[in-house]
This record gives sequence, C-alpha cells and structure tokens, in this order.
Amino acid sequence: MEFECEQCGGQVQVPKDALSGELVSCKDCGSEYEIMIDENGTIELKAAEEVGEDWGE
Amino acid sequence: MEKTGENRVKLAIAYDLLRFEEKALYNEAQKLSVPVEMMHVDSLSFDLNTSDYIDRYDVLLQRCISHSRGLHVSAIFEAMGILAINSYEVSAICDDKLLTTLRLSRKGIPTPKTRVAFNQEQALKALDELGYPAVIKPIVGSWGRLVARVRDREEAAAVIESRASGSNPNDHILYLQEYIKRPQRDIRAIVAGDELIATVYRYQPPNDWRTNVARGGTSEEAKLGDAEREILLKAAEAVGGGILGIDAMEGPSGIVVHEVNSTVEFRGASTVSTNNIPRKMVEYALRVAKR
Repeated sequence: MEFECEQCGGQVQVPKDALSGELVSCKDCGSEYEIMIDENGTIELKAAEEVGEDWGE
Repeated sequence: MEKTGENRVKLAIAYDLLRFEEKALYNEAQKLSVPVEMMHVDSLSFDLNTSDYIDRYDVLLQRCISHSRGLHVSAIFEAMGILAINSYEVSAICDDKLLTTLRLSRKGIPTPKTRVAFNQEQALKALDELGYPAVIKPIVGSWGRLVARVRDREEAAAVIESRASGSNPNDHILYLQEYIKRPQRDIRAIVAGDELIATVYRYQPPNDWRTNVARGGTSEEAKLGDAEREILLKAAEAVGGGILGIDAMEGPSGIVVHEVNSTVEFRGASTVSTNNIPRKMVEYALRVAKR
C-alpha cells in the first residue's frame, strides 16, 4: 500500500504484513512515519515521534 | 509438559514502537505455535476496573520503548492477575540507576563506587572523594545519553550546573561514579530467569568512549569464566529477575556491574550470539507462565 508523504509529496510504502507501531520512511525525503492500524484495519500514518526523554532499554 | 489446544499459554507482547526485537519475539512465538497477540499500546485504551484480560492472556512480554509507558503497562497487567515480564517492580528498579545500584550493592554484586547528591556543592565534594576522571550519569535514561566523563573539578562543575538548571527533576539527582579503567569494551549479558542466554563484548566506536550499540558500538561473542557468569546471574537475581540486560565492565580487580536493562535490546547481540535470543526469551515466558 502506498501513501503520500506529508513533507514532500513522495511515496511512502507500507508493507502488506505491517503491524501498528512499525516505522516506515519516505523514499524521496526520508521523513519517518509510524503506522497506525485501527480495529477495523484502517491504516493511517503519523509523523514519527522524536526520541523521547524516557526512551531506551 | 507442553499445553495443547485451548490450554496453550497465551502470550501478549506490548510495545509502542515496533523495533527489530519486538518483531523477532513475535516471529519466534509464531514459529513455536504460541497464541500471540501484538498489543500496540498507543492504539488501545485500558479499562482499569476490569480483569477481563485474565481470560485472554497468560503472560505479557512488556517491550515499550518508553520507560514510563512500559512501567504502567506492567502494572495494569499485574493488577489483572497476568504475569508481566518484566514486573512493575523489576522495571521500576532497572529504570532508575540509583535504585539499581542500591540493589546490586546490598546483594554484594561488585559495582563501581557510586555517590549521589541532591545539591551542586555536595556533588562536587563527593566527586573530590571519588577522584577524577569520574562519570556523571542521569538516573533515568538509556543508550548512553547524557552520560559524561569529567576529567577535573572544572568540567564536573560545568556538567553539574547544566544538569541542575534543567526542568526535569530527575536531572537534579546527581549520580556520580568512579571511572573504571577498562579495556575498550564492556560486557552485555542477556539473562532469562536463571540462564545466561547471551554474553557479548561491546566495543566502543572510534569516536566515543561509550560502548552502546545505539552509539555505534560493535559486538563480539564473549567467552566468560564461571566466576564472571555467576556475578552476572546474581546481578539479575538482585533486581528481581526476569528478562534482563546486564552491563558490566572488566576493571582492574575483576568485573563490576554498572547497569541492568529491563527492556533489553538484542539486535547487536543477535548478530554474534550462537543462541537464538528471542526464542530463548519466548521459551522462558512460556516456562514461567506454566508455573
């Protein structure tokens, strides 16, 4: 499945077996998106979060 | 004995961002024919007044990249009567370097000499006693972020002042450690229960003294002696056990444990370990769920 990049209008590919929370990036400008899949299976992309203060192992 | 049919252990993997590790755990669970559900916690809400999940899951692998999110996910599952790996308590200890050091130290695990101060002046006095170079770390944080090696009092004062001026209250807790003269590598051990499932050396990249794989560090399988292996396993036990990443250094008088990670990353270790790390983790979860 293909989405349009919000930043540059380029293509963002979402693989068929994608899971919610997976990161994908725009082929053209490299912008990163997080895949969100709701209960009905609808896929949306949201801009990936910057590294959070409490992120880590 | 392996449960069959409806009696099989049901596994939930909670995560916020899907990394290599979470996918690997999911794939291994599927290969083992374990009923597994991926729970993207950002896409869900949790009812705190129900215990419904107890019918749906037996064990949770808590894999959130955010410490606070993960900690509370473990609390929710535990309150519903589901075994969480790692537990709220273990996660809370490991997410806080001060609490980790207290546990390690009280259980007799060798750790670097560590001081804590809540005031800039006291922090500098403590560092004078520890000696230079020394290390200043945030009590919460991973991947070597904001870990500073200071060579003298002047550098220490600058780092401490910048920490104390930040808005994060955790940064005002000044956690200070002796600098261990170690080779250009440290040890990362991955423990599941009472088994060491991987031991790797992590080499520092050419432009950094920290060895975190997130900073470009590289890995190599480590062959450790029995005494070292015992210390690493005891360190895991000291914080309460579970699936853990133990970080240790080879100091002049043997290994010292400086950190325990509760949502251990294993991408780097997977490339060099002879064990299938995610499989071992899933097998451990199944084993403890059946108890």
